Amino acid sequence: MFRRVWIALLVVAVAAGLLPVGVRAGADPAVVAEQVRTALLRAQVELEAGTPDPAAAAAALEEARRAYEAGLAESLAAGAPAADAGVRAGLAAAGEAVAGAGGAGAGAALAGARAQVWTGLLDGAYQLASAAIERGNGEAARTWLRLREFRAPTRFSRPSADATRAVERFAAGQVDGPTALVSLRADLLDTYQERLRLSLLELQVAQEKGFTARAAEHGALAAGYFAMLAPAYAEQRGADALRAAEAALGALRTAALAGRPTGAELEKVEEALHGFRAAPLSPEEQARRAGQFRRFLGLVPVEYARGVSGGKVTKEFEIHEAITFQEGAEAAFADLQTLLEQRDATATNGAAAKLSALGHHLHDAAAGKAVASPTVIEALVKEIDGLITPAMPEAWTKRSTAGDFDAVDQLLDQMERAVAAGQYELAESARLEAYAVLETGPEPRLVAFAPQFIPSIENLFWHGSAGAEGLARLIQQKAPLADVKSARAQLDTQLAAASDALAGGDSPVAVGTNAGLIVFREGLEAVLILASLMAGFQRAELRRLRRPLWWGAGASLIATVLTWLLARGVLASLARYGEKLEAIVSVIAVGVLLLITNWFFHKSYWTDWLASFHAKKKGLVSGEVGQWIGLATLGFTSIYREGFETVLFLQALVLDVGNGPVLGGVALGMVGVVLIGFLLFRLQVKLPYKKMLIVTGIFIGSVLLTMVGKLVHSFQVVGWLPTHPIRSVSLPYWFGDWFGIFATVEGIILQIVCGVFVIGSYYLAEWMQHREAAAGASVAHVQSHESRRPDAG
Amino acid sequence: MLRRFVSGVMLMSLLLATACSSPTAGEPPAAARADAGVKVDLSGTKSYLLTKSRELVDETGDLKAVAGAYYDLAKLHNFDYAALWAKDAAAAGRQVAAAKEHFLKANPAYELMEGIVAGVTDLAQFDIDLDAGIAASDGTEDVVSFDVTLPDGRVLAKPGNFFFLAEVTLWGTKAEWTAAEVAADMDGNGTVEFGEALPDANVLKGVADAFAAKSGELLKAAEAWEPTEEDAFTALVVMIPTMDEYFGAWKESRYVAGDAASSIQFVATSRLQDIADILAGLEVVYGSVKPAVAGADAAQAAQIEGNLQGLRAYVQEILAKERAGQKFTAENADLYGAEAQQRATAIAGQLTQAAAKLGVDIEG
Repeated sequence: MFRRVWIALLVVAVAAGLLPVGVRAGADPAVVAEQVRTALLRAQVELEAGTPDPAAAAAALEEARRAYEAGLAESLAAGAPAADAGVRAGLAAAGEAVAGAGGAGAGAALAGARAQVWTGLLDGAYQLASAAIERGNGEAARTWLRLREFRAPTRFSRPSADATRAVERFAAGQVDGPTALVSLRADLLDTYQERLRLSLLELQVAQEKGFTARAAEHGALAAGYFAMLAPAYAEQRGADALRAAEAALGALRTAALAGRPTGAELEKVEEALHGFRAAPLSPEEQARRAGQFRRFLGLVPVEYARGVSGGKVTKEFEIHEAITFQEGAEAAFADLQTLLEQRDATATNGAAAKLSALGHHLHDAAAGKAVASPTVIEALVKEIDGLITPAMPEAWTKRSTAGDFDAVDQLLDQMERAVAAGQYELAESARLEAYAVLETGPEPRLVAFAPQFIPSIENLFWHGSAGAEGLARLIQQKAPLADVKSARAQLDTQLAAASDALAGGDSPVAVGTNAGLIVFREGLEAVLILASLMAGFQRAELRRLRRPLWWGAGASLIATVLTWLLARGVLASLARYGEKLEAIVSVIAVGVLLLITNWFFHKSYWTDWLASFHAKKKGLVSGEVGQWIGLATLGFTSIYREGFETVLFLQALVLDVGNGPVLGGVALGMVGVVLIGFLLFRLQVKLPYKKMLIVTGIFIGSVLLTMVGKLVHSFQVVGWLPTHPIRSVSLPYWFGDWFGIFATVEGIILQIVCGVFVIGSYYLAEWMQHREAAAGASVAHVQSHESRRPDAG
Repeated sequence: MLRRFVSGVMLMSLLLATACSSPTAGEPPAAARADAGVKVDLSGTKSYLLTKSRELVDETGDLKAVAGAYYDLAKLHNFDYAALWAKDAAAAGRQVAAAKEHFLKANPAYELMEGIVAGVTDLAQFDIDLDAGIAASDGTEDVVSFDVTLPDGRVLAKPGNFFFLAEVTLWGTKAEWTAAEVAADMDGNGTVEFGEALPDANVLKGVADAFAAKSGELLKAAEAWEPTEEDAFTALVVMIPTMDEYFGAWKESRYVAGDAASSIQFVATSRLQDIADILAGLEVVYGSVKPAVAGADAAQAAQIEGNLQGLRAYVQEILAKERAGQKFTAENADLYGAEAQQRATAIAGQLTQAAAKLGVDIEG
C-alpha cells in the first residue's frame, strides 16, 4: 500500500513534468537530491516498520543510488570530489545497513548513512554554486543554489534570502563575483551552522527518549554539517584545531551510531565549537546586533511596567511584548556573545546569566506564577547594561541606526498585532513607542542627511496627508486592520528608503559638512529672529530695550552649551520627550512674542503720543521690570529653541563620528552665522528709521507666523491638538521647516488668526493714534481758544 | 539697499533649505522592489475561502439548531439528565449524533481554509478564536478573545477555541461539561465507549450559538478581504513550517497515545487529517502565486509545487496507514514529524527565495 502510493505519486509527478527523475539528463539537482533523500527515508521506514521489509528497503535504496548516479554523481565527482566521496560512502553504508536488516543497529546505521548522503549532497551543491560564481556562470549558480537547507523560521525571522538575492544580482551583472560569493557563503554557512547546533540539541533529546536511530541520524548530520564549515574553522583556528574538532565530531557520530551515551563526546564537540562562527558578522552587522540588543533590552522594562500594577499582571499583552523584546535582545546577544567573551568573559557570562534570569521573571509573570516588581526588572536591565556596555567596542556603543529601524519595525509589528486583536489602546501605545524610538534614534540623522523623508514619515505615523492615512488617526478611529496595514506598508516603504538614505552618510567629512549646515541653518534662523526684534529698538530712546534681548540671547547660548555638555547623559532621556519639550518652549516663545508684538506695534506707531505716555511710565519700576523680563524671556526662548534643536541634531552626529568633525562643522557654521549677523546688524544701524520699522514689522510678523505654525505642528505631533489635514495640498519639507506652514486646517487657521492679530494691531494703533491725535488737537484748540480769551489766566 | 539685502538673505535661505532637501522627496530607492513581472491573480484563493467559509457557516448553523433542540429537550426534563436519558434516550441520542455529524463536517470545512485564515494577518484572529486559541486559564499567549455566556447565565470566560469547546462537549472529554452521572450507551451495544456522553445542554447550546456567530463573522471578514500577493506568500511561509506542532498534537492525541493520551482534544478527527486538509488549502494558495513564481524562476516554481504535493502525499500516506489500523510508536511519530518538518522548512525557505526574487515582502 505504502509503496504503491509512492510509485503512483512519482508517476503523476513525472507525467506532469514536475519531478524530473534523476535518470533524465538535465534534471534539476534540487529535485534529484530530494528524490535521493526521500528514497532513503522510505528505505528507513521499510526497515523499521512493524514487519520489516528488507527487499522493499533495498529497492528504495537502489532507487536512491540510481537517481544519484544519473542526476548528480558526474557533477559532484568533477566539481566537489570530497562531497561525492561522502555521498558514495553514505550509500555504501546504507547498503550494508539494509543488507544487515534485522540485525541490531541496522536502523541506526541506515539513519546515519542517510544523514551522511544528505549532507554530502548539500556540501556538493554549496561547492558547485560557489564554483559557478567563480566561473562567472550565474545560471549554474542559481541552479545549484536551489539545493540547500534553510534556517527554520521563527517569530523574529524568516529564512534568509541573501544568497538568492546575491546570485540574482550576479546573474544580472549588478554585482561582481567576489561580492556575490561573500553573500552566498555567509548565508549558507550561517544556515548550516544553525543546523549543526540544532542537530546537537536533537541528538540529546533523542538519547533522552532512547530513540537510537534518531540519535544516530543527528550524530551523522552534525558531522556532515561540520564538514561544510571546516574550511572556515581551519581559517579561524588553524589546522591542528580543525583536526581536533573533526576527531570530536567523528567520535560523537561513532558513539551515536553505536547507540552509546554521547555525553562526553558532546562535551568535547561543544568545547571545540565554543566561540566559533563560520560566517563572521561584518563590523556593520555587529554594530547592528549591538544596537538591537541595547534597544530591545531597554524596551523590556518599559513594556513590563505598563503591564504590571500592584503586584499583578494588568495587561498580559504588555508582558508578552516584554518577552518579545527580551527574546530579541537575547538573540542579538547570542550573536555577539563570543566576541564579547573575548573582550571580557566575566562580564559577558554575568550578563548572559542575568539575561536568562530576566527571561525567567517575565515568563513567570506571564504564567501567573510570580510577578516581579517593575523596579526589579528595571534594576536587572540596568545591571545587564552596566555589565555589557563597558565590554563592548566603542563602535558598538554608537547608536546603530539600523538597530533603531529594526526596533521601530518590531514595535509596529506589535501595533498591528494589537489592532488585529482589537486592542486599540495597546496599538496606540506601541505606535507611540515606535515613534519615540524613531525620534530618539534616526530622526536627528534624517534631519542632517535625508530631511525629505521626515514629513512623509511623520504624516504616516500621525495624521496622514493627501492620499495617505496616518496611523494615529486610524487607531483613534478604530479603523479595520486592513487600513492600518495599508498605512503601515506605506510607512515601511518610507522608512526603508530613509534607512537606505542614511546608510552611506556617516563619513567624517559628510558629517562635518552636515553639522555646519545645521548650525548655519538654525543659527541663521536665530539671527533673523533676533535682528527682527532688535530692529524695532533702533531709536535712541528705545535702544536700552535691546539689552534684555541681548541678555536673553546670551543666556540661551549658555544654556545651549550646557545642554550640549549634559547631552550625552541627559539628552537620551530628554529626547524621548523632544517634541513635547519643543512644544512647551514654543508656547512660551509664541506667548511672549505675541505680547511683544502687541507692545511693539503700539510702541512704533503711537510714536509721539506714546513718547509722553512712556515718560509718565518711566518711574513705574514694576512696569520696567516686567518689560525687561518679558524681553529677556523672548530673547532666550527664541534662540534656545534653535539651540536645543541644534544640540539634539548634533549629538546624533557626535555619536556617529565623534566630537572632532562635528565641532569642526559647528565652527564653520558659526563663522557663517556671525558673518551674516554682523552684516545684518550693521545694516540695521545704517538704515533710515522708517524703512527699518516697516521691515521690522514684516519680520516680526513673519517670525510670529512661523513660530505659531511650528507650535501648532508640535502640538499636533504630540497629540495635544487635533489634526485636519488639507489633503489637496502637498507642501515640501522646507516650507514647514522655514516658514512653519503645514497643510492642516488648525495650523493655517491659527496662522491667519495671528496675521489678523498683527495687522489688526497695526490698524488699531493707527486708529487709536488718529483718535487721540484728534482728541489732542481738539483739546489744544480749546486750550488755545481759551488762552486767547481776555479773561483767561 | 535693505530690501535687496533682505531679499538676498531670504533667497539664500531658500536656496540653502532647498539644497538640504533632495528633489526625490519620499521616493523609495530604485532597488527597493523588483518588478514582479506576472500579475498575481488571487481571485481563486478568495473564492475558495468564501466557499469554505459558507460551508462552515452552514455546518455550524446546523450544529446550533441541533444544540437548540437538545437544549429544549433537556429543559423539558428540567436538566435532569438521568430523567432525560430514562425517558428520551432515543431522541437525545439522535440529537447528539447529529451534532457530532455537523461537527465532523465543520471540521474539514475549516481545516481546508485554515492555512489562509491563520496565515493572513487580517483574518488570523479568527483562527485563534475558532481553532487555535487556548483558554485564559492555560496561558497568556494566543488566548481566545471571547467569553461564552450560557443560557443559564453562567459565563465561560475565554474558555478556548470553538472547535475545542464543541469537541470536548460532544465527546465528553471534559467531565464538568458532561452529564457524567449518566451512562449513555448511545449505540446500545451494552458498553459505554469512548465518546458516548450526554453533553451539558447549557454548555452545548451556549457554545454552538457563539460558534455559529463567529463563523458568520469570519464569512463577513472573508467577503471583505482583498487578498494581496504579500498575504498569499505570508500565509504560505507562516503556515507551512508549523508541521512539527501538528505532529506533536497528533503524538499526544488518542490516535498515537491511546488511552494514555495527555490531550483531551483531537479525538473526533485525527490531527493527520487536519494537516492534510491544511496543506490542500495551501496548495490552492500556491496555485494562485505559482504563475508569478514561474515568471521569475520556472524551476523553482516546479520545485515548490512538487515539494508541496510531496508533503501532502507524505502526510496522506501516514494517514492511510493509521486508517488501516497501524499503531505508531512515539519514535515513529517523532521520525514522521521530523521528516514533515524538514520538508516544510525547505518549502518555506524556497517560497522565501521566490518572494525575494519577486520583491514581495513577507510579513513578520
